[in-house]
Amino acid sequence: MKPSMGNRKKTKSMFGLIAVMVGFLILPGFLSEGWISLVNEMLILALAACGLNLMLGYAGMVSFGPAGFYAVGAYATALILIDTNLPFALAFAAGPLVAAASAVLIGWFCVRLTQVYFALLTLAFAQIIHTIIFEWYAFTRGDNGIVDIPIPQMLKSITHYYYFSFFIIILCLALLWLIIKSPFGKTLQAMRENAQRAESIGINVRLYQLSTFVLSGFFLGVAGSLFCGFNKNVFPNYAHWIKSTEMLVVCLLGGIYNFFGPIVGSIVYLFLDKVITGYTQFWPLVLGLIIILLLLFLRGGIAGFIAERMALRRRRGEQA
Amino acid sequence: MDPFWETLERNSKHMNLQGIIIQILSGISTGMVIFLIAVGLSLVFGTLRILNLAHGTLYMMGAYLCYWVSSVLTSFGGAFWWSLLLAPIGVAIFGGLIEVILLRRIYDREHLDQYLLTFALVLVIGDLCKLAWGVEYHLVTTPWPFQGPVFVMGMPFPSYNVFLIACGPVIFIGLWALIHYTRLGKVIRAMTYNREMANALGTNVPRAYTVVFMLGCWLAGLGGTLVVPTASAMPGMDMIVLIECFIIIVIGGLGSLSGAFLGSLIFGLVNAFGILVAPRLAVAFAFILMIVILIIRPWGLMGEPE
Repeated sequence: MKPSMGNRKKTKSMFGLIAVMVGFLILPGFLSEGWISLVNEMLILALAACGLNLMLGYAGMVSFGPAGFYAVGAYATALILIDTNLPFALAFAAGPLVAAASAVLIGWFCVRLTQVYFALLTLAFAQIIHTIIFEWYAFTRGDNGIVDIPIPQMLKSITHYYYFSFFIIILCLALLWLIIKSPFGKTLQAMRENAQRAESIGINVRLYQLSTFVLSGFFLGVAGSLFCGFNKNVFPNYAHWIKSTEMLVVCLLGGIYNFFGPIVGSIVYLFLDKVITGYTQFWPLVLGLIIILLLLFLRGGIAGFIAERMALRRRRGEQA
Repeated sequence: MDPFWETLERNSKHMNLQGIIIQILSGISTGMVIFLIAVGLSLVFGTLRILNLAHGTLYMMGAYLCYWVSSVLTSFGGAFWWSLLLAPIGVAIFGGLIEVILLRRIYDREHLDQYLLTFALVLVIGDLCKLAWGVEYHLVTTPWPFQGPVFVMGMPFPSYNVFLIACGPVIFIGLWALIHYTRLGKVIRAMTYNREMANALGTNVPRAYTVVFMLGCWLAGLGGTLVVPTASAMPGMDMIVLIECFIIIVIGGLGSLSGAFLGSLIFGLVNAFGILVAPRLAVAFAFILMIVILIIRPWGLMGEPE
């Protein structure tokens, strides 16, 4: 490809990105509050899914327990807000940090194993987090959850919270983008393709996997904290493996080998969830059928499919 | 004092030899039912190399089918024994259809795709069960001749649980014989060892896969059927049992028959005594055991390192 064409393509996608961001910024002018909170939820889920996808799509580490770190983030923020008088900013920052710290601890064990065993161990740890939250009444209030979490007056309005989380999420997505484009990100992809070869050229695979695990835990923690402020309640089922699988499904729906896949996935997923639960209580049945169809007929996910189509069109345009 | 130690102390005051023996027996009977389910999961994993997340849901389906068959045949004598015969076969046929229509297409895919397909089956089968049988709890009465208790050192113990304890070893020996002394068993061992080579040497691998998967489903259905007289059939039972099966096959070793047996025994006992010590944390004990095993011996007690 000629360099000028590459630049033109870059400018074009830059414009597209800015247009989408402006679109999100002016959304509250058009939509009702109900829809704005749905979009907010989509964005938070998108961030969680992108955090998971750093591990899943880029490093090829299948985790069954992302919801554990999400819940740790949410609970850390919730507990600081309700049990102490510390400012909101500090409580909010604590979520991701505690999540990352627990990811260091759990990841240290998990990266020793590969494939199925890795997946099962992440599942086990997430279930332990769930059990701790569920049973430790004195600290986490157990299965009652924590309700009516006080957040600053300024963020109480739905629109204000939307802008707040939009800002944080864009910041995090930009960070994730930089990570993926950095030599670190490229190394991860090399490890995904062939861990043995990566090891033989002197890459400390375990260390890289642990770093990915922690980064992923950090971003999941951000998403958890954001959701805690958004919902103003937290419950033990945030750590349940149903929640983990929801995140996996979102990644798959959008496409795991594409940066924007999980974002598309979360928008489509929550939209379908909202629309279909309006018609029937059997949303899981419909979701299951969607996953099966997706796996059999749309292997790259939605974003993968679109990217493929675009590449096809570009190739045709070049030939003509 | 911490509630944990309070419970421990309160419980240990009432603890005597009889109590401990009853607890051991009930642990074994829990373990033996879950062995039937876990061994199916392990067999399917060992042969097909697929971790079937829908295995628990097939167990749930067995439980519902048992309830359904016994309520249809309620006017006949021994309705439960008919459902013990029919329900697992029903689940096996259903499983066979799933294997032929869906699973077959994804054997050569990545792990993630396999997890997600079987998870989709969890959702679909779970909702189909809800559609068919509602969300109420369904219980089947304890069948003749196991209604009354037996007395162990003067303490009553449900005789149905004695029957359950007997089922485990029977199935274990049956499967052992199947794997070691039949043609199908030879094929299973060959496929577990090297799938391509077995195929190249003329084994009909696709058909053997279907048979093994159906056997796994039959075992799940059998577990579901046997459990209904002691615990109701209800939505959500599938996930609980699936996680317990994971624990067991990790402890015993993925794909190992004797590992599943040993793992189930250990799980049943840890659970029985965990409940005694800290009722609400019993699951956590099993998980901790699983983590310890995964760290010091990832291939499980009876498994072999890959």
